[in-house]
Amino acid sequence: MGSAARGTRNHWTWATAVVVGVTLVASACTGGGRDTGSDDEETQGGQGQSGPSVMVSQWGGEPETLDPARAEAGNYGDNAIIQVYEFLVDIGPDGPEPVPMLATDVPTQENGLVSEDGLTYTFPIREGVTFHDGTDLTAEDVEFSWDRVIEMDLPEGQASTLTDIISDTRVVDDYTFEVTLDRPAGWFLSSVVNSTPAAIVSMDAVEANGGVVPGEPNEFMDTNVVGTGPYELVSWDRNEQMEFDLFEDYWGEPASNPVRVEVATETGTVLLGIRSGEFDLIEPQPQYVQRLSDDSEICIDQSDFLLEPLHLAFNLNIPEDRLPDSDTIPADFFFDPRVRQAFNLAFDYDAYFDALGGLAAKATYLPPGLLGWSEDAPKYEQDLAQAEQLFRDTGWWDEGFTLSVLVESGSPTFVAIGLVLKDSLEALNPNFRVNVVQVSETQFDRAHGTTPFEYAAWIKNGDPFRDPHFLMSTYFHPDGEWGERLGFRNGYQDSDRIAELIDEAGESTDVEERERLYGEVMELIHEDPMWIWAADERNVQIYRCEIENFVFNPAWTFVRWRFYSKP
Amino acid sequence: MAPVDYALRRLIKLPLLLLAVSLLVFSLSRVGGSPIGIYINHEMTPAEVAEVAERYGLDEPLHRQYLAWLGGVLQGDLGWSGVSVAPVADVLPQKLMASLELSLFAFAIVIVLGVGIGTYAGARQNRLADHISRVISIVGSSLPIFWFAFVLLIVFYLILPIAPIGRSDPDIYNSISHPTGLYTVDALLNLNLLAFRDAISHLLLPAVVLGFEGMATIARVMRSSMVDEFHEDYVDMARAKGVPEAAVVKRHVRRNALVPTVTVIGVAFGLMLQGSVIVELIFQWPGVGRWMADAVLRGDQATMMAFILVAAVIFLLVNLIVDIAYAYLDRRVELGT
Repeated sequence: MGSAARGTRNHWTWATAVVVGVTLVASACTGGGRDTGSDDEETQGGQGQSGPSVMVSQWGGEPETLDPARAEAGNYGDNAIIQVYEFLVDIGPDGPEPVPMLATDVPTQENGLVSEDGLTYTFPIREGVTFHDGTDLTAEDVEFSWDRVIEMDLPEGQASTLTDIISDTRVVDDYTFEVTLDRPAGWFLSSVVNSTPAAIVSMDAVEANGGVVPGEPNEFMDTNVVGTGPYELVSWDRNEQMEFDLFEDYWGEPASNPVRVEVATETGTVLLGIRSGEFDLIEPQPQYVQRLSDDSEICIDQSDFLLEPLHLAFNLNIPEDRLPDSDTIPADFFFDPRVRQAFNLAFDYDAYFDALGGLAAKATYLPPGLLGWSEDAPKYEQDLAQAEQLFRDTGWWDEGFTLSVLVESGSPTFVAIGLVLKDSLEALNPNFRVNVVQVSETQFDRAHGTTPFEYAAWIKNGDPFRDPHFLMSTYFHPDGEWGERLGFRNGYQDSDRIAELIDEAGESTDVEERERLYGEVMELIHEDPMWIWAADERNVQIYRCEIENFVFNPAWTFVRWRFYSKP
Repeated sequence: MAPVDYALRRLIKLPLLLLAVSLLVFSLSRVGGSPIGIYINHEMTPAEVAEVAERYGLDEPLHRQYLAWLGGVLQGDLGWSGVSVAPVADVLPQKLMASLELSLFAFAIVIVLGVGIGTYAGARQNRLADHISRVISIVGSSLPIFWFAFVLLIVFYLILPIAPIGRSDPDIYNSISHPTGLYTVDALLNLNLLAFRDAISHLLLPAVVLGFEGMATIARVMRSSMVDEFHEDYVDMARAKGVPEAAVVKRHVRRNALVPTVTVIGVAFGLMLQGSVIVELIFQWPGVGRWMADAVLRGDQATMMAFILVAAVIFLLVNLIVDIAYAYLDRRVELGT
């Protein structure tokens, strides 16, 4: 080929490359923009469909399972389940009293649906309700849903919510379901019937897809939804997004907008996303408030409190020679209530509130919104003089100590508790040393699940219980979940009295009696604290202001899309 | 040795290398403790934890766990991803193709712009083009990738909303079939211009960020190589023979300057894999980088081990290609010596 021909070929090559490059860039600039799911024809897959806008919700993670029999409390699985499944009764936006949902009435003794001894609850089931798989709801589905959770009894799930109280379930007829408890429980409707494991699933769908195998998860239910809720799951791209569409055959008030959940973990991306309108709702974090408060298009709601007290646990069950090498405390370090009182008095609560950007308040043992809460309930304030005196009285002031506190590294809210405790104690006495050991979530869970626990203390938030019975049983009862593991009986001055009061309050159906009993419990546990109850966290909700009818009840734990609409 | 023979010899050694890698990966992953953490939660009793351990075979001795894992790998079972709650083998290809597409696009930027800028600057030593290329090289090498990413997002995503985040508009993505897993290619195969535009619009920003540092490095190395080659005698000879300057540059100088540059290209590709984690996190790109970040933070050892094995295979193959390319460009290099 001659040089002229080669030159011509090279020019054509360059020209082609330039044209391709310009085309690509032009495509990028004109074919992009935000995926707001508007009814723009081009973003509807080119199919020319118009419809309601897609509401986009950002989550920082995603469900491990969509099976109500397997979902862990307070996790993303819970969040998804309450959008697509329903319960016999629900907590409405104005809560906390239960309202009818798949049952047509809330059982009470007044309407005769609760037996006189408080043990038997009868639920009239709503007729004309369809599952996502097209089958109809009957009482048999309700019994099946609850029985499968009990039979599967998966350790990672919340089966104990049902197994701890339910004695028997019975189908009376197609639209009547009966439950018998093994003891009276004033908290049964709010905390059991309206809990994730009590979500109603389609019996036909489960039996057609693996059925019920004791001790074994059901793979179909992990990734599919067969509920009765206003949303149905359309697609799930793991670690990326989930799409929920409106359920056409929903029995009640339909939801307004389909929803897409986007999994985004990077803070900068989340903030840009809500500012740009890519996200309509984001998972609230305290640090977002300050960074978004100047944007008039973003609404920040801080009116309520979460039901998840932030706390530090004292370990009274320390194994000999199993603490970190740097720790100098003996196994019975926290047996003396004066030591625990001193820790509570040394803690700088104001510094912690500052660390949370003002998004927290002094914690009482029962958070606001829960039965038994009172502003006048006893709570600790920092009192360094009294803390010092107690440390002197117990002999630790001169001897000093070093201990390690375990916390999840990815939770700045929790880490701050450890750092504030460290600063508080080390400033009080240089002989005191606190090591804040930050580990990943899985390492924390593994250590947390080990008995005996091999650290002096850990930091976490409480589970979102809707009734004080569960909170008291779990966190304060000497024979409860943490009482046993952390060895509360080694430290309580009157374990039996505390146990008796908590048990009695749990069984009573008289609201005033329960409040009186919880008040007495709080006086006792204040003198004999097993925790530093650092703060009640404010419930922060962040959303684009164009979202209409935004409402949130802390008893929900998560937002409920069905109430919101996006123009 | 002929390239085919050389490639075969290297490929035969690959399984032994991978076995060594697998043993190392497994051992190191267990240094961090049992992988059971991803399957349990803090509320489980010790008995429940033991039940979960038995379910996943984590109560067996370590050597049995390794053999079970290795046996699974050889049969295509890469374990169960706690992060994705699905078999790793099901999730990995999808994530890999997403990352591959981004990397290839970024790599194209690295090669085309890097070699192009380096060539142009090297042929115009100490003139304006050369000075500009040096500025680009320094900026590219020193710019923190996360900062660059956010600056571009603020400008092109927030202020001038012309670039989206993520990989696609879900409605458009779901409207076409995906035989290859590469969105751009699949769009073309489906003859869907809308999908193609969607793919490109999502690719552009993250690819620019991912490839920028590599492009700057290649430009710098190429420029230096070009300058060195211009001092060689054969250049004077070619000019003396009346060969046009453009031909001297393209057919002689650039070809020889590519020899050292190719080595750097291989390294740049490896570094890009590292940078992909940050880019994927920031741009919400659903690739292995983001998946791995999640797996590391959550202690999902099955995912981590599978990824490291796959990454080792990719790295070994890429270096094999680089070695063969090296021999092709420089006829003096003999493969196998």
